[in-house]
Amino acid sequence: MATESFDHPFLNKIRTLGLLFGALFLVLTVIGAISNPQQFYQSYIIGYVYWLCISLGCLSLLMLHHLISGRWGFVIRRLLESGARTLPLMVILFIPIIFGMHNLYEWTHADVVANDPILKFKSPYLNETGFISRAVFYFVLWIGMTWLLTKWSRTQDETGEPGLKSKMINLSGPGIPVLILSVTFASTDWVMSLEPHWFSTIFGFIFVVGQALAAMAMCIIWVVNLSDADAFSEIEASKYLSDLGTLMFAFTVLWSYVSFSQFLIIWSANLAEEAPWYIKRGQGGWDIMAVALILFHFALPFFLLLQRAIKRRAALLLAIAVLMLVMRYVDLYWYIAPSFSHGGPVGFHPHFLDLTIPLSIGGFWLAYFAMQLKGAALVPLHDPRMAETFAGEGH
Amino acid sequence: MASTAPEKEDPTAPAPVLGPGQTYTTVTQKISSIITSRTPLGWIIGVALALGLMQCFALGVTWLLIKGVGVWGLNVPVGWGWAIINFVWWIGIGHAGTLISAILLLMRQNWRNSINRFAEAMTIFAVICAMQFPLLHTGRPWIAAYWLLPYPNSMGVWPQFRSPLIWDVFAVSTYFTVSLIFWYIGLIPDFATLRDKAKQKVSRVIYGILSMGWRGSAKHWHNYEMTSLLLAGISTPLVLSVHSIVSFDFSVGLVPGWHATIFPPYFVAGAVFAGFAMVLTLALPLRAVYGLHDFITDRHLNNMSKVMLATGLIVAYGYGMEQFYAWYSASTYEGYMMQNRTWGPYSFEYWMLILCNVAVPQLLWIKWVRLNPIMLFIVSMFINVGMWLERFIIVVTSLHRDYMPSSWDMYRSTPWDWLLYIGTIGIFLLGMLLFIRVMPVINIVEIRLLVPRKGHDKKPDHDASADASAD
Repeated sequence: MATESFDHPFLNKIRTLGLLFGALFLVLTVIGAISNPQQFYQSYIIGYVYWLCISLGCLSLLMLHHLISGRWGFVIRRLLESGARTLPLMVILFIPIIFGMHNLYEWTHADVVANDPILKFKSPYLNETGFISRAVFYFVLWIGMTWLLTKWSRTQDETGEPGLKSKMINLSGPGIPVLILSVTFASTDWVMSLEPHWFSTIFGFIFVVGQALAAMAMCIIWVVNLSDADAFSEIEASKYLSDLGTLMFAFTVLWSYVSFSQFLIIWSANLAEEAPWYIKRGQGGWDIMAVALILFHFALPFFLLLQRAIKRRAALLLAIAVLMLVMRYVDLYWYIAPSFSHGGPVGFHPHFLDLTIPLSIGGFWLAYFAMQLKGAALVPLHDPRMAETFAGEGH
Repeated sequence: MASTAPEKEDPTAPAPVLGPGQTYTTVTQKISSIITSRTPLGWIIGVALALGLMQCFALGVTWLLIKGVGVWGLNVPVGWGWAIINFVWWIGIGHAGTLISAILLLMRQNWRNSINRFAEAMTIFAVICAMQFPLLHTGRPWIAAYWLLPYPNSMGVWPQFRSPLIWDVFAVSTYFTVSLIFWYIGLIPDFATLRDKAKQKVSRVIYGILSMGWRGSAKHWHNYEMTSLLLAGISTPLVLSVHSIVSFDFSVGLVPGWHATIFPPYFVAGAVFAGFAMVLTLALPLRAVYGLHDFITDRHLNNMSKVMLATGLIVAYGYGMEQFYAWYSASTYEGYMMQNRTWGPYSFEYWMLILCNVAVPQLLWIKWVRLNPIMLFIVSMFINVGMWLERFIIVVTSLHRDYMPSSWDMYRSTPWDWLLYIGTIGIFLLGMLLFIRVMPVINIVEIRLLVPRKGHDKKPDHDASADASAD
């Protein structure tokens, strides 16, 4: 029996453009990498983490959808599944980080660790073997959960077997805590340990929230562009755009809340172990970026998404979603790039690789995503909850 | 190829939110009969007990005001003892009410309709209990307003605006005001129902005044819906802000064990966790005594258990992060604090906390436990105790051994701490019992909305779902 598939001109366009731009920016990136390998790794970790966060955000929203079964979830389920299925691509793209460990992480240098009691103390956790084996473990977990969830979802399309729904729910229940814990440790390994003396207990949680926000913005962009697809017209997908907008609003507020909490607590205690992280990011150009984050990652989307009229207009919502995706990058850039000052004054020195790398990875990511989306029908076909949820729609 | 059988046997379909066979009349009858019927003996015994407990409060306060806060177990490193523990415990309990009435309303979760009323009542009484402690801790509560409330004065004396303690004053009083208004607005149509059903003149007049001339016109309903939505929008940030500010009381300081960035979300989750445990602690006996099984159904028990499980896991995540980063920080003080907390003189309390808040709630993964009222009651009691212990551990183990070993000391509570704490339980119980007796404990109007209308049944018939899945 042939599996259902999905086709739409927008998909083909994205696939072609994605491959084209991915390759174009790859060429520029290679040129940059040869001339300045250190800068390449520094820019690469930002671009990589950015796109990985979107894949993982898709996985977390997918599991959330299985648990709460809201209507919005059925609309974007296939988008979330396709997003999570880009994880194998992210495994391949992780390889440069392994090669660049010595360029990125101070704690990989034996001589530095030997002279630094704090790093020596942390070495049972922060060491190369641990770093790589934990990364393998995270990816096995993430890809394993994605593989099971998407396999069951596609089988459900074919057979409509009722037991599959329970399986998806039963995996997602424990899956969310597992995902949150693994993302916490992954963000500690890959991002927090760039400044190995610094620590913050809310850090992993900020990543979890940021991921969900980025994934939701990505989904909104796709829903708007695919709204004329047959499957979406049938369930009147555009009617749920305002629900998706509300969720994007909720994640924006949550991001602001956790980010502000971290700032306030560290600022008011003003401890020598913690405060330098913010001091670095509050001067020499980074302060402007911090203000931009407050204005465009919080204030503007907050006031726009508060209004129902705006959430209902596809073009406006699309623009806000694009803004949120851009601001997610700005946020990660502000988190990661100042880490590479190594004690000296932190200048604001953007490099063209900071743009070509995320664009190149993004091109390939989107092309890969589009191919995954083609593999199954755009909305689930035989989910028992779906018929019930949509039939309950009375107004 | 697709058979229609799958839809019929959907194992994941939720239980109904309202028992079968309920109509507009039976709903109104059943709920208002709790008020209009004769006072049951159990209620009188309950009130007697609550009044008895309140005597403890009277005793505790009197002695406190005569002698000062020294009668409590406070000493120099532990300057914050049971007063702050109980304050945070009570404030936390209130959070379930706001979550249910505001966030679940915005998320259009209609199962909230039968539990929101008494959860909101619980919020109000819990906040009243909470406010006793910081006021009494000032030692001279009648002049506390002098330094708590920032009013313009000729001496130019202002509170420290950078202190989260002053933010608490604003946060908690805003929270109390909004919760009270929200609760009252929801009661207005029900007061009108009671006014119309009242047999005695006195109750007719009282309910008549309380219902503010409600006639149920379309305009009244429109205003009612708009006000509820607006208040829900205002309350939602309050759910986050109040307990976040309570967490700032600790986390903006330098004390190891207090200063952790995870505190705000972990306190908020803990508050919701404790609040749902208390809702169940009250709802399960209420449902059994008054036979409210058609209104508080398996669906409610299941959903509330799931919220407890989820928030409990966030709390467990908080404990885990504290442990991990205390080590990862490589800081002597952080490391010692955690070692002292886990294996020091208060390790028994710490492991009891882990048992109550982390181990026992894992039973909620099992569906049978989620649907079994007795098991659920037991789990809720564990959580009630566990959340109290959590605040005890945070307050006491962090303070009693901080940076300077020369100033370390042990903290022991005194009978006066116990009397006040037990006394506030009496205030809370009395409030809830009076509420059950004079106000509709379940929102009659909103429950009527759940009564299935002919031809507009919420659940699709099987033909419809078969059509939807045929191709």
